[in-house]
Amino acid sequence: MPTLLSLYPGPQYLLRVATFRLQGSKVLAVSMTGDSVKAKNGSMVAYDGQMAFKKMSGGGEGLRGMVTRRLTGEQMEVMEVRGQGTCWFADRASEINLVSLHGEKLWVEASNLLCTDAGLRTGTTFTGMRGGATGNGLFTTTVEGTGQAAIMSDGPAVVLRVTPQYPLQVDPGAYIAHQGNLQQHFQSGVTFRTLMGEGGGEAFQIRFEGDGLVYVQPSERNTIGGDL
Amino acid sequence: MSTPVIHDPTTLPSDDNVNPYTFCVELKGSQWFLQKGKMIAYYGRIEFNGIGHGRLDRLVRTSFHSPLHASDWVVAEGSGKMLLADRAFDVNSFDLDQGNLTIRSGNLLAYEPTLALKQSIVPGFVTLIGTGKFVAASNGPVVFMEPPMRVDPQALVGWADCPSPCHHYDHGYMTGVMGGVRALTGIGGTSGEEHQFEFVGAGTVLLQSTELLMADRAIGGPPAQAGVPGGHGAHGSGQSVPGSVPRLPGQLGDLQRRFGL
Amino acid sequence: MPFREINSKMVEATVVPGQRMFSQRGAMLAYRGDVTFTPNIAGGQGGVMSMIGRRVAGEATPLMTVEGNGTVMFGHGGHHIQVIGLTGDTLYVEADRLLAFDGTLEQGTMFMGSQGGVMGMVRGQVTGQGLFTTTLKGHGAVAVMAHGGVVELPITPGRPVHVDPQAYVAHHGDVRNKLSTALGWRDMVGRGSGEAFQLELSGSGAVYVQASEEKL
Repeated sequence: MPTLLSLYPGPQYLLRVATFRLQGSKVLAVSMTGDSVKAKNGSMVAYDGQMAFKKMSGGGEGLRGMVTRRLTGEQMEVMEVRGQGTCWFADRASEINLVSLHGEKLWVEASNLLCTDAGLRTGTTFTGMRGGATGNGLFTTTVEGTGQAAIMSDGPAVVLRVTPQYPLQVDPGAYIAHQGNLQQHFQSGVTFRTLMGEGGGEAFQIRFEGDGLVYVQPSERNTIGGDL
Repeated sequence: MSTPVIHDPTTLPSDDNVNPYTFCVELKGSQWFLQKGKMIAYYGRIEFNGIGHGRLDRLVRTSFHSPLHASDWVVAEGSGKMLLADRAFDVNSFDLDQGNLTIRSGNLLAYEPTLALKQSIVPGFVTLIGTGKFVAASNGPVVFMEPPMRVDPQALVGWADCPSPCHHYDHGYMTGVMGGVRALTGIGGTSGEEHQFEFVGAGTVLLQSTELLMADRAIGGPPAQAGVPGGHGAHGSGQSVPGSVPRLPGQLGDLQRRFGL
Repeated sequence: MPFREINSKMVEATVVPGQRMFSQRGAMLAYRGDVTFTPNIAGGQGGVMSMIGRRVAGEATPLMTVEGNGTVMFGHGGHHIQVIGLTGDTLYVEADRLLAFDGTLEQGTMFMGSQGGVMGMVRGQVTGQGLFTTTLKGHGAVAVMAHGGVVELPITPGRPVHVDPQAYVAHHGDVRNKLSTALGWRDMVGRGSGEAFQLELSGSGAVYVQASEEKL
C-alpha cells in the first residue's frame, strides 16, 4: 500500500531518516539530518546546507545489483548523498511518485527509480524473458525494507489494483513498477492484419494475476513487440 | 502531499479522464477505433484487431475512410476498461453532435465507430463526422479560440465547423526585398512568423500550447491526381528538417513533409 | 502585467500601440488583430537590442520585436513557462530561456567573469552562453521557459544554495554567484565534461531551478 510519511512508526525514527517531500510533481525535496539517501546519478538539481556525494561502486550489499545492471547495457548508476540540509532531485522533467514501504517489496524498472532512503535495500531480480522481445525488463530492480522510495514516470503514474477477480494486462512500455503478490506472464497473441499488409505480427503484453498494485505511466518506452 | 489514488475496474471512470494524461474507455460488448501504440493497460476481455481484419469489414466501411492511415489503427472489441495515453501528452475527449471536426492525424487517439473518419483535403489532417466521442492528445492542454485569427501551423490541433484555413504570409515578407533575401538566404534572420494559417468565419479553432510538433507516423501521400492537394508524389524532398529552413512562399511549411516524403 | 497564463505551457500577451514587446523568434503560436513580428538584426535596431544581438555572435538567441494592436499567444517547444514579475529589481537569466518580455524592461548583459574570476569563464563554457548572462531590470513581466516547470528556492544570508548549472534557470535579488567543484561532484554529476561544476548562489534573493538537468 503506498502511503505517505505520516504513517512512520515513531518520532525517534523520523529523526534519523530523510524526509521526502514533493515540490510540485517533478521535484523531490529530501531533508536530511546527517543520514543518507541513494539517488540516481546526476539527478541532483540543487541543495542547501552541507552535502557530500559519493559514487556507489561495486561490492556493497544489494548494490551489486546496480552494478550488474551495467552489464545489461542499462546505464543506471547510483550515488549516495549524505548531509544536513535539503537536497532537490529531478530527472528530465519526469513525474515523481512517492512509495512508502513497510517491509514489503517493490519491483521497479531500474531507470524509473529516483531515490531511496537508508531504510531500504535495493537489489536486482531476473524477471524472465519479458525483455526478450521488448528490450526492457530483463532485470528489474527490487526495493525492500521500511522507508520511502521515489519512483519516476513519464507523466503521472496510474496505480491499478490487481485482484484474483480482476487480472490486468499492461503494455510493457508503460509498465514502471509493481508490488504485492503478483505473478506476471508474458502474453502474446494480439494479431494485426491490416489492409496494407503492414503491422503484421504480434503485440506483447504483460499479464498480472494475483493480489497487488501495478504502476503504469501514460507513455510508452519504445518497444519492439508492444505495438498496441 | 496527496496519497496516490489506487484504481480498480470498479473505480476507473467510464469514458472519461483518469488524469489529464490518461483516458479510460469502457467497452460493453462495443467497439472503438484506436491508434496503435496508445493502449497502456486494460482490464477485462478485449480483443484488438487490425483494420484490415476481414470480420471488421462492415464496420470499416461505415466508419473508416482513410486508407492512408489504415495501418495505424486497430479496433478494440469486447468488454472491460482500457487506458489510453500518448507519450504523456495531454489527453482529452470531445463529443460531436451531428458535427464535424478536423484534426491533425497524429493527435487523434481513438474514436467511437458512430463517427466516420475521413481524410481532410488539408494534408496531414483527418475529419470526423457524425455523433459520438473521440479522444485526442495535444502538447499542453487544448485551447479553444474563435476566428478571425492566425495560427502558427505547428500550434494547430484542428478546427470545428469553420471553413478550412488559408495560408497567410506577412506582407512585408512577401513584398520586401529584404524579406525575400532573408527568406532565401537566411541572412539577417527571419522572425519565424512570416507564415500562418488564417481562419475566418464562424467556428472553433483548437490550439496546442507549443510549437513542438507531435511526431507522427509516415502516412504516405494522397492519390497522385490532378486537383488533389499534395498529390504530387516525391517532389520537394529538400526540406527534411521542418522549421530549420526559412519557408518560401508557396511552400506548405511543415505540412510539406507529409507530402509523401 | 501583460502576460496572462492560459496554461502551464502557453501565455497570452496583449499588445497595444506604442508599447512593444520582445519575444524569442518562432515562439508565436497564434495572434489576433494587427500585430507585426520583426526580427532584430544586430545593429539594425538601436540601443539595447543590438547589445543582445551582438553579444551572442552566433545569434544563439534570436529575438523579434512584437508591435501593434492585438493579442498574441506565446509558447515554445513544449516547455513550461514561468512568468516572473519584476518590480524594480534585476533578473538574471540565460538568454535562450527568454520566451517574451516587456519592452519597457531595461536589458543588459552581465559579464559573469567579473564575478567568478577564472571560474566565471568556466561557467561560460558550462552553460554555453559565453561569458554573459542577460539581465532585465525595471518594472514589467518576463516569461521564462523551463523544462518541466520550475521551483523557486529562496536564498538567505548564511544559507547559500548550490545548483546544477544545467538545471539553473534564472535568479534575482542581491545574489553572488560562483562556480565551484564539490567534493566528489565530478563523479556524481558527470554526464558531460562541464557538469563537474556547481553554481553556488549566496546573498538574499531567489533562484529558479527546473525539474530537469537538460538544457533547453
